[in-house]
Amino acid sequence: MEHDKYLIRIANRIQDTLTKLRNNRYTEILCRLEKLFEKIEELHTESRLMKESIIRGWNSSTEQCCTSLSRVLNEITHSTSQVSQIVDLPQKDAPKLFELVNELAQLMQEFEDVDINLSEGTISVATEPITLEEVYLGPFKIKLNLGMLSKLYSSSAYHVIAIDPHPAATAEEVTHPHVSNEHLCEGDGSAAIRIALEDGRLCDFFTLVKSILNTYSPDSPYVSLSEWEGLACYNCGYLCDSDNCYFCSFCERDYCEECSTCCRECDETVCSGCATRCSICDESICPNCVRTCSECGSYCCKSCMEEDICKDCEESEAQNEQRNEHVTTNTQCTNTNQPDTNSKEANSTTEGEKPVGLEV
Amino acid sequence: MRILYINNDGGGFADYIDIAENTTVEQFFTIKMSSQNAEDYTIRVNRQPVSRDYILRDGDRITITPTKIEGAVV
Repeated sequence: MEHDKYLIRIANRIQDTLTKLRNNRYTEILCRLEKLFEKIEELHTESRLMKESIIRGWNSSTEQCCTSLSRVLNEITHSTSQVSQIVDLPQKDAPKLFELVNELAQLMQEFEDVDINLSEGTISVATEPITLEEVYLGPFKIKLNLGMLSKLYSSSAYHVIAIDPHPAATAEEVTHPHVSNEHLCEGDGSAAIRIALEDGRLCDFFTLVKSILNTYSPDSPYVSLSEWEGLACYNCGYLCDSDNCYFCSFCERDYCEECSTCCRECDETVCSGCATRCSICDESICPNCVRTCSECGSYCCKSCMEEDICKDCEESEAQNEQRNEHVTTNTQCTNTNQPDTNSKEANSTTEGEKPVGLEV
Repeated sequence: MRILYINNDGGGFADYIDIAENTTVEQFFTIKMSSQNAEDYTIRVNRQPVSRDYILRDGDRITITPTKIEGAVV
Protein backbone atom coordinates (compact mmCIF):
# COMPACT_ATOMS: atom_id res chain seq x y z
CA MET A 1 0.00 0.00 0.00
CA GLU A 2 2.80 2.34 1.04
CA HIS A 3 4.71 1.31 -2.10
CA ASP A 4 1.69 2.11 -4.30
CA LYS A 5 1.37 5.53 -2.72
CA TYR A 6 5.01 6.15 -3.42
CA LEU A 7 4.54 5.19 -7.06
CA ILE A 8 1.51 7.49 -7.32
CA ARG A 9 3.54 10.40 -5.93
CA ILE A 10 6.27 9.82 -8.49
CA ALA A 11 3.72 9.37 -11.28
CA ASN A 12 2.11 12.62 -10.21
CA ARG A 13 5.42 14.40 -10.43
CA ILE A 14 6.13 12.99 -13.88
CA GLN A 15 2.67 14.00 -15.03
CA ASP A 16 3.24 17.60 -13.81
CA THR A 17 6.56 17.80 -15.64
CA LEU A 18 5.10 16.39 -18.85
CA THR A 19 2.26 18.91 -18.68
CA LYS A 20 4.89 21.65 -18.37
CA LEU A 21 6.68 20.13 -21.37
CA ARG A 22 3.56 20.62 -23.48
CA ASN A 23 3.50 24.31 -22.52
CA ASN A 24 7.25 24.64 -23.03
CA ARG A 25 6.77 23.37 -26.57
CA TYR A 26 5.19 26.69 -27.52
CA THR A 27 8.01 28.63 -25.87
CA GLU A 28 10.51 26.49 -27.72
CA ILE A 29 8.70 27.13 -31.04
CA LEU A 30 9.01 30.88 -30.41
CA CYS A 31 12.67 30.52 -29.46
CA ARG A 32 13.45 28.57 -32.65
CA LEU A 33 11.45 31.07 -34.71
CA GLU A 34 13.56 33.89 -33.23
CA LYS A 35 16.69 32.14 -34.48
CA LEU A 36 15.11 31.74 -37.91
CA PHE A 37 14.21 35.47 -38.03
CA GLU A 38 17.80 36.37 -37.11
CA LYS A 39 19.00 34.36 -40.09
CA ILE A 40 16.43 35.97 -42.39
CA GLU A 41 17.61 39.40 -41.18
CA GLU A 42 21.16 38.33 -41.99
CA LEU A 43 19.96 37.37 -45.47
CA HIS A 44 18.51 40.88 -45.92
CA THR A 45 21.82 42.46 -44.90
CA GLU A 46 23.79 40.27 -47.29
CA SER A 47 21.34 41.06 -50.06
CA ARG A 48 21.75 44.83 -49.51
CA LEU A 49 25.53 44.50 -49.47
CA MET A 50 25.46 42.53 -52.68
CA LYS A 51 23.28 45.12 -54.40
CA GLU A 52 25.69 47.87 -53.34
CA SER A 53 28.68 45.87 -54.58
CA ILE A 54 27.06 45.28 -57.98
CA ILE A 55 26.23 48.98 -58.40
CA ARG A 56 29.79 49.98 -57.57
CA GLY A 57 31.24 47.27 -59.77
CA TRP A 58 33.15 45.62 -56.92
CA ASN A 59 33.42 42.14 -58.38
CA SER A 60 35.49 40.64 -55.60
CA SER A 61 33.11 41.97 -52.95
CA THR A 62 30.11 40.66 -54.92
CA GLU A 63 31.68 37.21 -55.01
CA GLN A 64 32.22 37.35 -51.24
CA CYS A 65 28.53 38.21 -50.85
CA CYS A 66 27.64 35.10 -52.86
CA THR A 67 29.65 32.93 -50.46
CA SER A 68 27.98 34.55 -47.46
CA LEU A 69 24.55 34.15 -49.05
CA SER A 70 25.17 30.46 -49.60
CA ARG A 71 26.12 30.02 -45.92
CA VAL A 72 23.12 32.00 -44.64
CA LEU A 73 20.73 30.09 -46.91
CA ASN A 74 22.04 26.79 -45.52
CA GLU A 75 21.56 28.08 -42.00
CA ILE A 76 18.01 29.16 -42.85
CA THR A 77 17.25 25.66 -44.15
CA HIS A 78 18.57 24.18 -40.92
CA SER A 79 16.64 26.65 -38.75
CA THR A 80 13.45 26.02 -40.75
CA SER A 81 13.74 22.27 -40.24
CA GLN A 82 14.33 22.87 -36.52
CA VAL A 83 11.09 24.83 -36.32
CA SER A 84 9.15 22.31 -38.45
CA GLN A 85 10.37 19.46 -36.28
CA ILE A 86 8.66 20.87 -33.23
CA VAL A 87 5.67 22.56 -34.91
CA ASP A 88 4.72 19.31 -36.64
CA LEU A 89 4.58 17.37 -33.39
CA PRO A 90 1.04 16.14 -32.87
CA GLN A 91 -0.87 17.72 -30.04
CA LYS A 92 -0.95 15.18 -27.23
CA ASP A 93 -2.37 15.20 -23.74
CA ALA A 94 -0.11 14.42 -20.83
CA PRO A 95 -0.26 10.72 -19.95
CA LYS A 96 -2.86 9.59 -17.42
CA LEU A 97 -1.75 8.98 -13.86
CA PHE A 98 -2.61 5.27 -13.94
CA GLU A 99 -0.59 4.83 -17.14
CA LEU A 100 2.44 6.33 -15.44
CA VAL A 101 1.95 4.14 -12.39
CA ASN A 102 1.79 1.11 -14.71
CA GLU A 103 4.98 2.30 -16.40
CA LEU A 104 6.79 2.50 -13.08
CA ALA A 105 5.52 -0.93 -12.07
CA GLN A 106 6.69 -2.38 -15.40
CA LEU A 107 10.04 -0.69 -15.00
CA MET A 108 10.60 -2.40 -11.67
CA GLN A 109 9.51 -5.69 -13.14
CA GLU A 110 11.77 -5.49 -16.18
CA PHE A 111 14.94 -4.10 -14.68
CA GLU A 112 16.59 -5.60 -11.66
CA ASP A 113 18.29 -2.49 -10.39
CA VAL A 114 15.89 0.48 -10.37
CA ASP A 115 16.49 3.40 -8.06
CA ILE A 116 13.77 6.03 -7.64
CA ASN A 117 14.87 9.06 -5.68
CA LEU A 118 11.94 11.40 -5.16
CA SER A 119 13.89 14.03 -3.23
CA GLU A 120 16.50 14.18 -5.99
CA GLY A 121 13.80 13.80 -8.64
CA THR A 122 15.58 11.01 -10.49
CA ILE A 123 14.88 7.51 -11.74
CA SER A 124 17.95 5.40 -12.38
CA VAL A 125 18.30 2.02 -13.98
CA ALA A 126 21.52 0.03 -13.95
CA THR A 127 22.41 -2.17 -16.89
CA GLU A 128 24.23 -5.47 -16.79
CA PRO A 129 27.99 -5.21 -17.45
CA ILE A 130 28.39 -4.45 -21.15
CA THR A 131 31.02 -6.03 -23.37
CA LEU A 132 31.18 -5.00 -27.02
CA GLU A 133 33.44 -6.84 -29.46
CA GLU A 134 35.36 -8.35 -26.56
CA VAL A 135 36.01 -4.94 -24.99
CA TYR A 136 34.70 -4.84 -21.43
CA LEU A 137 32.99 -1.51 -20.71
CA GLY A 138 31.32 -2.38 -17.42
CA PRO A 139 27.78 -1.66 -16.20
CA PHE A 140 26.09 1.71 -16.76
CA LYS A 141 23.55 3.70 -14.87
CA ILE A 142 20.88 5.46 -16.95
CA LYS A 143 19.81 8.39 -14.79
CA LEU A 144 16.63 10.22 -15.80
CA ASN A 145 16.18 13.65 -14.26
CA LEU A 146 12.43 14.17 -13.93
CA GLY A 147 12.79 17.96 -13.61
CA MET A 148 14.55 18.08 -16.98
CA LEU A 149 11.68 16.33 -18.74
CA SER A 150 9.94 19.68 -19.10
CA LYS A 151 12.96 20.98 -21.07
CA LEU A 152 13.17 17.97 -23.35
CA TYR A 153 13.13 20.07 -26.54
CA SER A 154 16.17 22.11 -25.57
CA SER A 155 18.32 19.77 -23.48
CA SER A 156 18.86 16.16 -22.55
CA ALA A 157 16.88 14.82 -19.62
CA TYR A 158 19.19 11.95 -18.77
CA HIS A 159 22.79 10.92 -18.24
CA VAL A 160 24.57 7.66 -18.85
CA ILE A 161 27.04 7.08 -16.06
CA ALA A 162 29.65 4.32 -16.06
CA ILE A 163 29.39 2.47 -12.74
CA ASP A 164 32.73 0.73 -13.16
CA PRO A 165 34.39 2.93 -15.77
CA HIS A 166 36.65 1.41 -18.40
CA PRO A 167 37.15 4.50 -20.56
CA ALA A 168 39.03 4.73 -23.81
CA ALA A 169 42.78 4.94 -23.19
CA THR A 170 43.01 8.20 -25.10
CA ALA A 171 39.85 9.92 -23.81
CA GLU A 172 38.83 9.54 -20.18
CA GLU A 173 35.43 11.14 -20.78
CA VAL A 174 34.52 8.47 -23.33
CA THR A 175 33.22 5.53 -21.27
CA HIS A 176 31.41 3.82 -24.17
CA PRO A 177 31.93 4.22 -27.94
CA HIS A 178 28.71 6.29 -27.98
CA VAL A 179 28.95 8.01 -24.58
CA SER A 180 31.05 11.07 -23.89
CA ASN A 181 30.83 13.17 -20.72
CA GLU A 182 27.84 11.06 -19.66
CA HIS A 183 25.99 12.12 -22.80
CA LEU A 184 24.69 9.41 -25.12
CA CYS A 185 24.68 10.03 -28.83
CA GLU A 186 21.39 8.40 -29.65
CA GLY A 187 21.86 8.02 -33.41
CA ASP A 188 19.03 5.94 -34.86
CA GLY A 189 17.24 5.88 -31.50
CA SER A 190 16.95 9.64 -31.16
CA ALA A 191 13.34 10.13 -32.32
CA ALA A 192 12.02 7.02 -30.58
CA ILE A 193 13.63 8.09 -27.28
CA ARG A 194 12.17 11.59 -27.48
CA ILE A 195 8.67 10.30 -28.26
CA ALA A 196 8.86 7.69 -25.49
CA LEU A 197 9.75 10.42 -22.97
CA GLU A 198 7.06 12.79 -24.28
CA ASP A 199 4.49 10.02 -23.83
CA GLY A 200 5.79 9.11 -20.39
CA ARG A 201 6.69 5.61 -21.59
CA LEU A 202 9.53 5.27 -19.14
CA CYS A 203 10.04 1.57 -19.62
CA ASP A 204 10.40 2.03 -23.39
CA PHE A 205 12.81 4.89 -22.80
CA PHE A 206 15.12 2.83 -20.58
CA THR A 207 14.86 -0.16 -22.94
CA LEU A 208 15.81 1.99 -25.93
CA VAL A 209 18.82 3.51 -24.18
CA LYS A 210 19.88 0.05 -23.06
CA SER A 211 19.57 -1.19 -26.67
CA ILE A 212 21.89 1.59 -27.87
CA LEU A 213 24.39 0.80 -25.13
CA ASN A 214 24.35 -2.85 -26.17
CA THR A 215 25.04 -2.01 -29.81
CA TYR A 216 28.25 -0.86 -31.40
CA SER A 217 28.10 1.30 -34.49
CA PRO A 218 31.61 1.21 -35.99
CA ASP A 219 30.83 4.05 -38.42
CA SER A 220 30.46 6.80 -35.87
CA PRO A 221 31.89 6.16 -32.42
CA TYR A 222 33.62 8.75 -30.23
CA VAL A 223 36.48 6.27 -29.99
CA SER A 224 36.38 3.07 -32.00
CA LEU A 225 36.65 -0.22 -30.13
CA SER A 226 39.69 -1.20 -32.19
CA GLU A 227 41.47 1.78 -30.63
CA TRP A 228 39.86 1.51 -27.20
CA GLU A 229 43.07 0.48 -25.50
CA GLY A 230 44.89 3.11 -27.56
CA LEU A 231 47.72 2.65 -30.02
CA ALA A 232 51.02 2.33 -28.20
CA CYS A 233 54.04 4.02 -29.73
CA TYR A 234 56.47 1.25 -30.64
CA ASN A 235 59.39 3.34 -29.45
CA CYS A 236 58.30 4.95 -26.18
CA GLY A 237 55.03 3.16 -25.42
CA TYR A 238 53.01 6.38 -25.25
CA LEU A 239 49.30 5.71 -25.93
CA CYS A 240 47.87 7.79 -28.71
CA ASP A 241 44.69 7.85 -30.77
CA SER A 242 44.66 7.26 -34.51
CA ASP A 243 44.75 11.00 -35.31
CA ASN A 244 48.00 11.41 -33.42
CA CYS A 245 49.61 8.16 -34.38
CA TYR A 246 52.02 7.86 -37.29
CA PHE A 247 52.77 4.75 -39.27
CA CYS A 248 56.30 4.16 -40.44
CA SER A 249 56.07 2.29 -43.73
CA PHE A 250 59.69 1.18 -43.48
CA CYS A 251 59.46 -0.81 -40.25
CA GLU A 252 55.63 -1.00 -40.45
CA ARG A 253 55.00 0.11 -36.88
CA ASP A 254 53.02 2.87 -35.17
CA TYR A 255 54.75 5.77 -33.50
CA CYS A 256 53.74 8.83 -31.51
CA GLU A 257 54.39 12.35 -32.79
CA GLU A 258 57.59 12.67 -30.77
CA CYS A 259 59.08 9.47 -32.14
CA SER A 260 58.29 10.08 -35.79
CA THR A 261 59.40 12.60 -38.32
CA CYS A 262 58.99 13.59 -41.93
CA CYS A 263 61.50 13.00 -44.71
CA ARG A 264 62.72 16.35 -45.98
CA GLU A 265 62.93 15.01 -49.52
CA CYS A 266 59.70 13.04 -50.07
CA ASP A 267 57.59 14.07 -47.03
CA GLU A 268 57.08 10.41 -46.13
CA THR A 269 56.43 9.74 -42.44
CA VAL A 270 59.32 7.85 -40.98
CA CYS A 271 60.13 6.81 -37.42
CA SER A 272 63.19 8.21 -35.72
CA GLY A 273 64.76 4.74 -35.87
CA CYS A 274 64.46 4.39 -39.64
CA ALA A 275 65.25 8.03 -40.35
CA THR A 276 68.79 9.21 -40.91
CA ARG A 277 70.08 12.70 -40.17
CA CYS A 278 71.78 14.42 -43.06
CA SER A 279 75.36 15.09 -41.99
CA ILE A 280 75.27 18.48 -43.71
CA CYS A 281 71.86 20.05 -43.01
CA ASP A 282 70.91 17.82 -40.06
CA GLU A 283 67.41 17.24 -41.50
CA SER A 284 65.70 13.82 -41.35
CA ILE A 285 65.74 11.60 -44.42
CA CYS A 286 63.94 8.34 -45.08
CA PRO A 287 65.86 5.23 -46.19
CA ASN A 288 64.67 5.78 -49.80
CA CYS A 289 66.10 9.26 -50.03
CA VAL A 290 69.33 8.83 -48.10
CA ARG A 291 72.57 9.11 -50.14
CA THR A 292 76.10 8.06 -49.20
CA CYS A 293 79.05 10.25 -50.04
CA SER A 294 81.57 8.31 -52.11
CA GLU A 295 84.38 10.32 -50.58
CA CYS A 296 83.79 10.37 -46.83
CA GLY A 297 80.99 7.78 -46.57
CA SER A 298 78.70 10.11 -44.65
CA TYR A 299 74.89 10.03 -45.10
CA CYS A 300 73.30 13.01 -46.79
CA CYS A 301 70.03 14.11 -48.36
CA LYS A 302 69.82 14.67 -52.12
CA SER A 303 69.91 18.43 -51.67
CA CYS A 304 73.25 18.27 -49.90
CA MET A 305 74.90 16.12 -52.55
CA GLU A 306 76.71 17.12 -55.73
CA GLU A 307 76.60 14.05 -57.93
CA ASP A 308 78.02 11.35 -55.66
CA ILE A 309 79.86 13.45 -53.14
CA CYS A 310 78.59 15.56 -50.28
CA LYS A 311 78.85 19.32 -50.26
CA ASP A 312 81.53 19.19 -47.54
CA CYS A 313 83.74 16.91 -49.61
CA GLU A 314 83.07 18.90 -52.71
CA GLU A 315 84.07 22.06 -50.89
CA SER A 316 87.25 20.58 -49.47
CA GLU A 317 88.06 19.10 -52.88
CA ALA A 318 87.67 22.50 -54.42
CA GLN A 319 89.81 24.01 -51.69
CA ASN A 320 92.45 21.34 -52.25
CA GLU A 321 92.44 21.98 -55.97
CA GLN A 322 92.76 25.67 -55.34
CA ARG A 323 95.56 25.10 -52.86
CA ASN A 324 97.33 22.76 -55.29
CA GLU A 325 97.06 25.32 -58.02
CA HIS A 326 98.43 27.92 -55.67
CA VAL A 327 101.28 25.65 -54.61
CA THR A 328 102.12 24.82 -58.23
CA THR A 329 102.16 28.46 -59.14
CA ASN A 330 104.27 29.31 -56.12
CA THR A 331 106.68 26.48 -56.86
CA GLN A 332 107.05 27.61 -60.41
CA CYS A 333 107.57 31.14 -59.24
CA THR A 334 110.12 30.05 -56.67
CA ASN A 335 112.04 28.07 -59.29
CA THR A 336 112.00 30.98 -61.69
CA ASN A 337 113.20 33.46 -59.13
CA GLN A 338 116.00 31.31 -57.75
CA PRO A 339 118.98 32.83 -59.72
CA ASP A 340 118.06 36.45 -59.19
CA THR A 341 114.99 37.28 -57.21
CA ASN A 342 115.29 40.96 -58.03
CA SER A 343 115.59 40.43 -61.75
CA LYS A 344 112.89 42.32 -63.60
CA GLU A 345 112.92 39.76 -66.40
CA ALA A 346 112.44 36.88 -64.00
CA ASN A 347 109.43 38.55 -62.30
CA SER A 348 107.75 39.18 -65.57
CA THR A 349 108.10 35.52 -66.66
CA THR A 350 104.86 33.89 -67.34
CA GLU A 351 103.94 30.22 -67.66
CA GLY A 352 105.04 28.72 -70.96
CA GLU A 353 107.69 31.33 -71.49
CA LYS A 354 111.23 30.29 -71.33
CA PRO A 355 112.90 31.74 -68.28
CA VAL A 356 115.53 34.16 -69.58
CA GLY A 357 117.80 33.86 -66.58
CA LEU A 358 118.21 30.10 -67.04
CA GLU A 359 119.40 30.46 -70.60
CA VAL A 360 122.80 31.50 -69.42
CA MET B 1 -10.93 -4.47 -33.72
CA ARG B 2 -8.72 -1.71 -32.37
CA ILE B 3 -5.39 -1.99 -30.61
CA LEU B 4 -2.71 0.44 -29.42
CA TYR B 5 0.44 -0.08 -31.48
CA ILE B 6 3.68 1.34 -30.13
CA ASN B 7 6.58 1.07 -32.52
CA ASN B 8 9.91 2.06 -31.01
CA ASP B 9 11.79 1.40 -34.23
CA GLY B 10 13.08 4.31 -36.36
CA GLY B 11 11.04 7.44 -35.77
CA GLY B 12 8.98 5.78 -33.08
CA PHE B 13 5.26 6.30 -32.76
CA ALA B 14 2.23 5.22 -30.74
CA ASP B 15 -1.21 5.05 -32.33
CA TYR B 16 -4.48 3.18 -32.27
CA ILE B 17 -4.92 1.01 -35.31
CA ASP B 18 -7.52 -1.40 -36.65
CA ILE B 19 -6.57 -5.01 -37.26
CA ALA B 20 -8.39 -8.15 -38.35
CA GLU B 21 -9.87 -10.50 -35.79
CA ASN B 22 -7.73 -13.44 -34.68
CA THR B 23 -4.46 -11.82 -35.72
CA THR B 24 -1.56 -13.45 -33.92
CA VAL B 25 1.50 -11.53 -32.73
CA GLU B 26 3.58 -13.27 -35.39
CA GLN B 27 1.17 -12.26 -38.17
CA PHE B 28 1.02 -8.71 -36.84
CA PHE B 29 4.80 -8.46 -36.82
CA THR B 30 5.02 -9.81 -40.37
CA ILE B 31 2.48 -7.24 -41.58
CA LYS B 32 4.03 -4.26 -39.84
CA MET B 33 7.71 -5.11 -39.94
CA SER B 34 7.87 -7.25 -43.07
CA SER B 35 11.55 -6.77 -43.80
CA GLN B 36 12.71 -7.25 -40.21
CA ASN B 37 13.76 -10.23 -38.18
CA ALA B 38 11.53 -10.83 -35.12
CA GLU B 39 14.55 -11.96 -33.11
CA ASP B 40 15.94 -8.43 -33.20
CA TYR B 41 12.89 -7.07 -31.35
CA THR B 42 11.29 -7.29 -27.97
CA ILE B 43 7.55 -7.70 -28.45
CA ARG B 44 5.23 -7.10 -25.52
CA VAL B 45 1.49 -7.16 -25.27
CA ASN B 46 -0.03 -5.26 -22.36
CA ARG B 47 3.50 -4.81 -20.99
CA GLN B 48 4.09 -8.56 -20.83
CA PRO B 49 6.16 -10.84 -23.05
CA VAL B 50 3.93 -13.14 -25.09
CA SER B 51 4.36 -16.13 -27.36
CA ARG B 52 4.26 -15.67 -31.14
CA ASP B 53 0.89 -17.41 -31.42
CA TYR B 54 -0.80 -15.10 -28.95
CA ILE B 55 -4.02 -13.82 -30.53
CA LEU B 56 -4.42 -10.08 -30.23
CA ARG B 57 -7.62 -8.82 -28.64
CA ASP B 58 -9.53 -5.60 -28.84
CA GLY B 59 -7.90 -2.90 -26.67
CA ASP B 60 -4.52 -4.68 -26.47
CA ARG B 61 -1.38 -2.60 -26.26
CA ILE B 62 1.44 -4.04 -28.39
CA THR B 63 4.98 -2.68 -28.13
CA ILE B 64 7.76 -3.49 -30.57
CA THR B 65 11.21 -2.37 -29.45
CA PRO B 66 14.48 -3.09 -31.26
CA THR B 67 17.15 -4.79 -29.21
CA LYS B 68 19.95 -3.28 -31.30
CA ILE B 69 20.04 0.43 -32.08
CA GLU B 70 23.07 2.14 -33.56
CA GLY B 71 24.24 5.17 -31.66
CA ALA B 72 26.23 7.88 -33.39
CA VAL B 73 28.30 10.98 -32.90
CA VAL B 74 26.08 13.94 -33.82
